[in-house]
Parts: sequence; structure tokens; C-alpha cells
Amino acid sequence: MKNEHSVFGKRFPQIDSFEKVTGRLNYGSDISIPGMLHAKVLRSVYAHAEVVKIDLRKAEALPGIAAVITYEDCPAKDWFCPAFNWQGPVMGKIVRYVGDEVAAVAAIDEKTAEEALDLIEVEYKPMQAVFDMLEAMKPDAVLVRPDGNRRHPSIFQSGDPERGFKESDFIIELETHLGQQQHAPLDRNACIANWTKERVTLWTGTQSMFWCQRSVADYFDLPLNKVRIVSTPLGGSFGFWWQNNYHFIAILLARKAGKPVRLELTREEVFSTVKRRELPISFIKVGAKNSGELKSLSVKHLLDNGAYGNKFDPYQTVVDMYRVENMYCEFLGVSTNLLTAGCMRGVGDFSLGYAVEIAFDMVSEKLGEDPVEFRLRNRFRTGDVLPASQEYMFQKFFFNRDIPVKLTSSGLGECLTKGAETIGWKDKWKGWGKPVAIDGAKRRGIGVAMATHISGLAFFGFNGAVVKVNSDGSVHLITGVARIGQGVDTTQAQVVAEVLGVELEDIIVISGDSDISPPTMATVGSTSMHMVSRATKTAAENAKRQILEIAAKKFEVVPEELEIKNRKVFNKRKPESFMMLKDLLSQPLQEHLCPPTIIGSSSEGFPYDKGGKMMMAHFAEIEVDTETGKVTVLKYVAVHDSGMLANPAVCENQVFGGVFMGLGLGLSENLHFDNETGMIINPNFVDYKVLKALDLPDPVVLFEEVYDDSGVFGAKGIGEGTTCCCCATLANALYNAIGVRIDPPLHPEKVLKALKKL
Amino acid sequence: MKKVIRFTVNGNPYELGISPNITLAELLRNEIGLKGTKVGCDMGACGSCTVLLDNKAVKSCSILALQVEGRTVVTIEGLNKGDRLHPIQQSFVENHGFQCGFCTPGMVLSAHALLHENLNPEEHQVREAIEGHICRCGTYPNIVKSILHAAKLMRRE
Repeated sequence: MKNEHSVFGKRFPQIDSFEKVTGRLNYGSDISIPGMLHAKVLRSVYAHAEVVKIDLRKAEALPGIAAVITYEDCPAKDWFCPAFNWQGPVMGKIVRYVGDEVAAVAAIDEKTAEEALDLIEVEYKPMQAVFDMLEAMKPDAVLVRPDGNRRHPSIFQSGDPERGFKESDFIIELETHLGQQQHAPLDRNACIANWTKERVTLWTGTQSMFWCQRSVADYFDLPLNKVRIVSTPLGGSFGFWWQNNYHFIAILLARKAGKPVRLELTREEVFSTVKRRELPISFIKVGAKNSGELKSLSVKHLLDNGAYGNKFDPYQTVVDMYRVENMYCEFLGVSTNLLTAGCMRGVGDFSLGYAVEIAFDMVSEKLGEDPVEFRLRNRFRTGDVLPASQEYMFQKFFFNRDIPVKLTSSGLGECLTKGAETIGWKDKWKGWGKPVAIDGAKRRGIGVAMATHISGLAFFGFNGAVVKVNSDGSVHLITGVARIGQGVDTTQAQVVAEVLGVELEDIIVISGDSDISPPTMATVGSTSMHMVSRATKTAAENAKRQILEIAAKKFEVVPEELEIKNRKVFNKRKPESFMMLKDLLSQPLQEHLCPPTIIGSSSEGFPYDKGGKMMMAHFAEIEVDTETGKVTVLKYVAVHDSGMLANPAVCENQVFGGVFMGLGLGLSENLHFDNETGMIINPNFVDYKVLKALDLPDPVVLFEEVYDDSGVFGAKGIGEGTTCCCCATLANALYNAIGVRIDPPLHPEKVLKALKKL
Repeated sequence: MKKVIRFTVNGNPYELGISPNITLAELLRNEIGLKGTKVGCDMGACGSCTVLLDNKAVKSCSILALQVEGRTVVTIEGLNKGDRLHPIQQSFVENHGFQCGFCTPGMVLSAHALLHENLNPEEHQVREAIEGHICRCGTYPNIVKSILHAAKLMRRE
């Protein structure tokens, strides 16, 4: 099926390769607007305090200061992130975390702005703060936000979980924690805001141009067309740069100063004042029969929202991995006086997925079953009903409807089989409690874990696309996808080129301007390939139809008899009868005396009763030095089902990225909060350790291309999900090596403590 | 108090009066307008600001602009000649050695410094040469592949 295509499915370099490799691509921090001012932000040193008094007189008097703002300049209301990653005032009288914004300054240059910050006098009244989620949940806990620390719980149930537990022969129960990860994108981004009589313009790197537009419009009570977001390419994001509080600060300063204002965060601010992955605590209970039947799964999952996060659900689809007869899920978002937390690559499929995978690994051990066999036997299959996925939740919530949502395709079995074969599972797995090898103090272990992640969620929104075919056969694709490094502009262009029968180099992609781009869902949740492509393909087909109708008149056939390939329009039955596309489109039409204009457009949603999920199975062989506690990954195999791949090179790189990031939390990444003050004590790349070129062997990345009927050319998504089972894979391998289960990060001292050597 | 320095960037001579406390990265980006050099961390921990100073890879965020008096700087903008990419750049394109591209200028220049010394590096030498670079997109396998292949291309020339 794959070989029919000439552009889709091919390993093209990204279409902006030249700009990237010559340093010509302008990211958010590279652009400037004439006459722009420079902003700096004054931040709270307390995790929780009342701002009693702010004296701006000295700051305002400093030469070169154009505007200073405090909470008094902010509309007395909250702004909302449509994805629940934020709710709160831009600046308030109460500060809720160390680093919370208290005042901001716009000046002729950064140096002057910094000087002004030193001249602002703030009187704080420190308040008690709460940093621990479990403490924050208690009824008498310090209130982080006025409407309470607990968000409304999300509860799903299917079947009768209590009965399922009663019918089980054994029950596995565990509590899991994960380390504190942060997106830590390399690019510090920046934003420039301008407020004129006509409207607000915000230049910034963002994954979610239209969410940003909506949040800003709602907050300032402006019509959407008076808010323009220009989204620049981003040097990585992973869920970080969406609509962030500092955008609003820049806009407020621009409004007050009457000039464009640029705000760029320092690396320390990027680490400590934007966002982090929500910290999870999971309580899992699985009941099974000795015969191997999975009777009941109960999940209680807490997520730390930090100071301004608003999530009530980790954004999970983990209950769609194993076929369990009865199921109960309860999710609770809890606020704390720490940096705001929210979505990061993998979300609940990563954090809750970890807990579920460890629990089921324990079940397979209790059954004495090979963990690969166990997963193969119990995995979700194509067409299975998704009991707790978000599509289901949404239709119940909005329409009080109970229509089953079915899994569109699943290559989970294929991934497990291929991965096991590649790592040599049959030879290396010696059984439960038996490491792969023991060599003095060094023990080798092997582990497996699987995961799923969304690639199509109807409620994320409609997508629009415009395809202009110019009179010389060159093409513009106008879309709203964000350029965050995952090659989505390239793969969307590949879809267009495939449909139109032209070359990839004939396509220019225009994106990143809310004035021009048709509304497009946020470039999040791996939804671009599976969902945005539908609109892109329809727009291209629309354009193609117009072209063939014109050609049909010239060829004196019906349009269905024609095709376009290699820039040629030809008669399918008589291919020697053809015309070059550029000749066809540049010739005047008889009826109009001039050449045609070809514009294909579309606006499309996704069917409500289908859920496309990407699948993956990862395998790790590790070595643990029981004297030093060091964990070394010897071999890592990642097998992914993302349907038919638009561009295998792009997809491979995305899996590499997910593995380095997922194993990053597994091995070394951890953002440290000081227990006393709630301050982040390692907000830099020296002390927050991401993995680099010497830290991992190259992962072996393989794909099982299982055609997905809901996907364009059979494709599903890939980008976000690639982190999801890394920590579980590593932890399962560790268990095989040393017989102890440890939650990542697997720091040497944790390993030694678990081995009772410390 | 501004100080005048003379130096060369990408083959072009400059004579500029600068503040004594600005870094080389700030000089390149703000005074000369070469934005290809990125400042990811401003403390020498990420490698994205790497440029060549007299053919050696240095972190321009950690060098004072004053230190380039009389010296030669090459930034990422100095490698390609119009549409013609340097073999290292060409190799990165063909071997998919980047995703978001933010670390790429620094990586390419560190590769350049390595290959200037050693046109036949072993894989571990390539990894060591880029050890000071963060690629948060995790493209390391293809970055290493790109550099090894670039060495091959350059050996042929």
C-alpha cells in the first residue's frame, strides 16, 4: 500500500532545512520591531504572600522608563487556558509561588529595565504555603487559590469494579511517584506585544496560536479579529509555550506604553516561572484470576497543578492498553504553592501510564507469565471500545450521550512481537527474579513496557486549510500548524504534493499568522498528522477537482478519467494524452478570456465515535553497578505503530527525541524545590541534567505500519507519545536486574538505598 | 565608556565601539545583527552559542566581546556561500541531523572545529566533540551520523 505514493511516505529532509542549517531561521528571540521597548519582570521571593504595598515612584522616575505595571493595571479577572493549564489573574494582590509576577517594567533597553526593577519597593506579608499535594488536599490546608485546592474530580467507571475485585484470585496494589520533570526547551523564545487603536498583535513562538488568540481576546474583551497572533518557529516546546502569563504582561505593558514591548525570559526564568510537568501520585489496584483473566482495574491518580494550573484530568488514555473486564478511574487535580504545572510530552499516558505498566508487570509476575506474552495476550485490539477516553467523557458532558468510541487501529501486538525479536528477548529473559547476567557487582536486566497515546480527539477542534495552485503549477499551502521542530509543515506539504501530483519542492507552506491561517487545532497531542491532515487533504482534493474540471473540457473527457502525477495532467486510459500542469493553468479559459485561479479550501472536524491512538512497545537492556548504583542503558529498542508514516525520517527523529526525553526523567532529570521556601534550586542546564550524546546508545527505532482507516493515507500521530513508556521500560528492566522496584529517576543513591547499601 | 575593537567576522573586518561588559554573543547578535548564533542559557552549559574563534569552537556567551580584539570569528552565517552549503551543512540536511534547528548552528560549528583538526574521527570522538551541546529534541543519533558522513564528504574533496 505504501509504494503507491510518490511523496507521502518518503524520507524527505524538512522543507526549512536550508534556513535551519545556515542559521537563517528566525525564532521568537531573533525578531525585532522598530521602536520596541524592552521589559523585565519583578518576581515574588515568597511562595505565598500578600502584596501589601508597591512603591513605584523611584522606578517610574528613572530616565528611559516608558511604563511600569502592577496588579492594579490588570483587569480584575482571571484568564483561562482552554486546555486547563492555567487559571488566574495576570498579577494579583496575592502571590502564589516563588517567581510569581509582582510588577513589570518597559524601558528603552534591558539594562535600564533591570535597574528599574531594583528601584521598585514591595512590602510583602508572607503567608503560610503548602508544597505537598497530599497536604494541600486536606480540608484545613492552606488555600492556594480562593476556589479551593481541589479541582472537581474526573470519574469514569465501566462495569462493576468492586465485584471484579471480589471475583479476583489476587489483587496487586501499589502507589507510584515520579520525579519532577520540566520541558526545558533549548530556545528561550520571547514575545513582542503591540497594542494599537486597531488591535493587539503578539509575536511569539507558540504551539497554540488560536488558543492564544482566544485567551487574549476573552481576557481583554476584544473580538477575535482584533487579536493577531504571529507564531514564530520554536526551538522546541514539548507542551511549554502555549499561551503563557508573560504574554499578558507584555500586552499590558504595550498598552500602557503605547509602543511595542519585547519580553524575553532569562534561562532561570524559563526554568522557574513558566511551567513544569505536573507531578503525579498514582494509586493502582488490579485484580486478576490465577487463570490469567484480568477482572478489575482501579486507578486513583493525583496531579499537582502548582499555583495556577487548572487540570482535573491528566489527559490519559492508559486504560485503553489492557482488556480488563471492570474499571474505575478517579483523577484529582490539586493546587500547591509551587511553579504552575501542566501538560508535558506524554501527559497522563506518560505519568499514569507508568503506574499502570508497573502494576501490570507485577500481575504478570504473580501469574508467572512472560511479561511480553502477558501483554500480547491482554492488549487492546482494533475496534475495541475505549471505555474511559476523553471523546467519551466529552460527549457525555456536552451531549449526555453514551455512544461507544472505538479504537481505530492497533499495532500493539506487532510492536511487542517485533521489539521482542529485535532485542533478543527469548534468549535474554531468564524468568522472573532472574537477571540476564551477573558479572561481579554488575547485574544486567531486561524490561518491556507498552503505551498508547492519542492521535485523534474530536473535541480538539475543527481544522481549516487553503491550497492555492498558482498559474505556473507552484503551490501555497496555508495552514495554522506550529513549527516546533517535529516537521509538521513538511508532512502537511507532503500530503498536498501527493494529492495534487506535484513535487514536494513545489509547495510553500504559509503558517503562523492568525490573520491568515485558517483556524487550526493547537499543535499538541500528536494530532496534526491524524487530524489536521484531513483538512489539508480535503483542501488539496478540492483544488485538484477544480483543475480536473478545467482539464476535462480541454481533453474532452469527464474529470474522473483524468489524473495528475509528476506535474502532468493525463488521461488515465491514454497516458500519452497529457498536459503539463503549468501549461494548463496558464492558458486563458474560453468563457472568461483569462487563466483560472485555483483555490481549494476545507474546514473539517473528526468523527465523534472514533479514537485514533498511536501504539508503542519499548524494550531496554540495562546494567546496574551494585557498588556505585549507576544504571547504564546498554540497548534500547523502540517499536512504534503510528499507522502509515508520512515521512519515516521525521518519525524516526521524533522517537529518538521521545526516548532521550523519557529516559531523561528515568535517569537524571529532576527539578528540585527547596522544602522550606518552595524555590527551585536548580533552574539551569548545569544542575538540571538532560541526556546528551554520551549518555545513551543510539536507540533502535522500528515501525509497524498498521493502516488506520480514519487517518489520511492510513496515518496516525507520533510526536508527543514517544516518551510514554520509557520510564516503565527502564524500571521494569531495573527490577529484573536487582529485584527491587524503584520509581524514576534512578539516581545512584536511590539504587544503593534500595539495595540497602546506604 | 565604549572601547574600540577590531576583529573579523566571516571574513569581514569590523571596527566597533562597544560596552566593555558585553559578551561575544551579544556583540554578534545585537551589534552586528547575526542572529544565527543562539543564546540558550547564557552560562556556557548548552552549547547553542558556539562560534569559531581562530578555528576553535568557543561558547560565545562566556567570552567577553573585548577578547576578540585582533582575532577571527566565524559564525554559522559564514559557512555557506549563497545557495552552496558547506559539506557539513549538506550532510546535516541529508542525514536529518536536526528537528527544531535551534542547536544546529552550534553543533555544525563544533563539528567544523573537530574536522578541522581531524578529518577521520572515530564515533566516540564525534560524541566527545559535541558533549557540551544539548539537543533537547534528542536528535543525537542523526547528529553523530551527519558529522561522520560530513567527514567522509570532506575527505573526498
